[in-house]
Amino acid sequence: MALGDAWKQLSWFYYQYLLVTALYMLEPWERTVFNSLLITVAAMAVYTGYVFMPQHIMAILHYFEVVQ
Amino acid sequence: MTESAGNKKEDCHAANGVKPGRNGMVKNHHHHHQYQKQEKVYHAACNGELYSRPFIESFEETPMLVAVLTYMGYGILTIFGYLRDFMREWKIEKCHIAREREEQKDFVPLYQDFENFYTRNLYMRIRDSWNRPICGVPGAKFDLVERSSKDYNWTFEYTGRVVKNVINLGSYNYLGFAENTGSCATAAGDVTVKFGVGVASTRQEMGNLDRHEELEKLVASFLGVESAMAFAMGFATNSMNIPAIAGKGCLILSDELNHASLVLGARLSGSTIRVFKHNNMQSLEKLLRDAIVHGQPRTHRPWKKILILVEGIYSMEGSIIRLPEVIALKKKYKAYLYLDEAHSIGALGPSGRGVVEYFGLDPKDVDIMMGTFTKSFGASGGYIGGRKDLIDYLRTHSHSAIYATSMSPPVLEQIITSMKCIMGEDGMTIGRSRIQRLAANTVYFRRRLREMGFIIYGNNDSPVVPMMLYMPAKIGAFGREMLKRNIGVVVVGFPATPIIESRARFCISAAHSKEMLDRALDVISEVGDLLQLKYSRHKVLPSLDRPFDETTYEENEE
Repeated sequence: MALGDAWKQLSWFYYQYLLVTALYMLEPWERTVFNSLLITVAAMAVYTGYVFMPQHIMAILHYFEVVQ
Repeated sequence: MTESAGNKKEDCHAANGVKPGRNGMVKNHHHHHQYQKQEKVYHAACNGELYSRPFIESFEETPMLVAVLTYMGYGILTIFGYLRDFMREWKIEKCHIAREREEQKDFVPLYQDFENFYTRNLYMRIRDSWNRPICGVPGAKFDLVERSSKDYNWTFEYTGRVVKNVINLGSYNYLGFAENTGSCATAAGDVTVKFGVGVASTRQEMGNLDRHEELEKLVASFLGVESAMAFAMGFATNSMNIPAIAGKGCLILSDELNHASLVLGARLSGSTIRVFKHNNMQSLEKLLRDAIVHGQPRTHRPWKKILILVEGIYSMEGSIIRLPEVIALKKKYKAYLYLDEAHSIGALGPSGRGVVEYFGLDPKDVDIMMGTFTKSFGASGGYIGGRKDLIDYLRTHSHSAIYATSMSPPVLEQIITSMKCIMGEDGMTIGRSRIQRLAANTVYFRRRLREMGFIIYGNNDSPVVPMMLYMPAKIGAFGREMLKRNIGVVVVGFPATPIIESRARFCISAAHSKEMLDRALDVISEVGDLLQLKYSRHKVLPSLDRPFDETTYEENEE
């Protein structure tokens, strides 16, 4: 039952996302294009964050003089 | 001179009249806080001022986040619009829009491709919310022909089914006279048997029936003016008669949000047109003063006449004109007033006489009272009322009188019967009870919608209720979701409204019973939660009606 409610809630959020970005008015293939672009850009951002995270954390610690 | 915001609650809604010794600015204080308890007691004590009743209008500001998201939505749609146009240009996709033939490609273009960008790429996608075919009388409920589209709204097919008993929140049926039973319809039927339907002539030639004369006398007595004239088409009443009364060398001061018929009439007349901010009396007064001081543009001669064009109720905003102040200004600066009561005649005022009666003013103060029979009388056509010499002049000089066919007999009879019903001359109280029901419905509907948390524009007493939607996808979604739940609404977007302020416009009718309104309100609340339309933060924008102080005058300098 919890899974059914979660699915309903997720599909409501997806509907809000469609309304706010005006994807609701676009045809299905246009939605696919936009969603793929968005996911690609988000995935690239997450990957870059993952690769550079150790370097950024060391730089912050160095700045606050926690580590030399 | 200026009072602080703190005193405004005790300050009973008073507006000082124009005092001759001062600099002549009209002061008025209005209520900003609609949620405060308003006891009737201290309003009745304010008299002798310009406003005899509270004038509560609100235009809540667009929330910043919603505005940003709306622009983002339009941006995404524009990008995809360019993409689709590119595909159409390169023949990757079939083009459904009219284009020139291949042989004519080098000629001067007949169809301006880019200007229809909005129509092609935004309007077409949600076109199923408009032009819905109705197959019955548009009363409180109507029947709708169901359609479906296989190619995303470029073409429609009828499924063969009819959606029955859709609650009608879109027709201008303020007093419920759009009906096919009852005394009006019977009278129209009898007169068709006697006169036929077509008049086959213009007013000046053979088209002047005795019923026309009777209608004009009736309209004149209804409005409280000396004489009136009726025309067959409401739009043509404005666009064909303003050129007859104003011409070169005249100045027309027209409100920002005037209807297309007024704008067209003003442009056709050839006068100079200046626009003042919507319902803003300081802006109007500044324009009047500048006009009188500086005169015509190059020669500085005085203007032949100054005509102020305003409407009684503005249907896109739901706002009521500040008529007492306009009349005070008009008298002071000796200008003429043209009042277009298309939406307010029959709908405002204790006996339905329109916005002049609503404010308790004298109809003789308004030089030209124009209105239409389309909205509250359930017919079609327009009228102009005023002094006898003005109407006699219009009878000979108006384009509509000379060239346009006169009103058709069944339509005439509908107007005569419904007007007599409103005036109470047929001996029954149907008219008065309808007016009271409309007023009660309006106040109830607006209060409930505001309590639910929607952003509603306009005056508390106006039967036109615009509810803000803002985002483009919500325009189409709202129309469709309401129809799924059997309620028909009108949604409006650009270019009728500013680009981010798209809205759904409800028109309340005396034919709506309380159960229908309750059902409609429940459905609107449900759809509002589904689409997240309850934007209101109960913050009222005060800048439309502020107490006058020195800084407001400078603000109008541009």
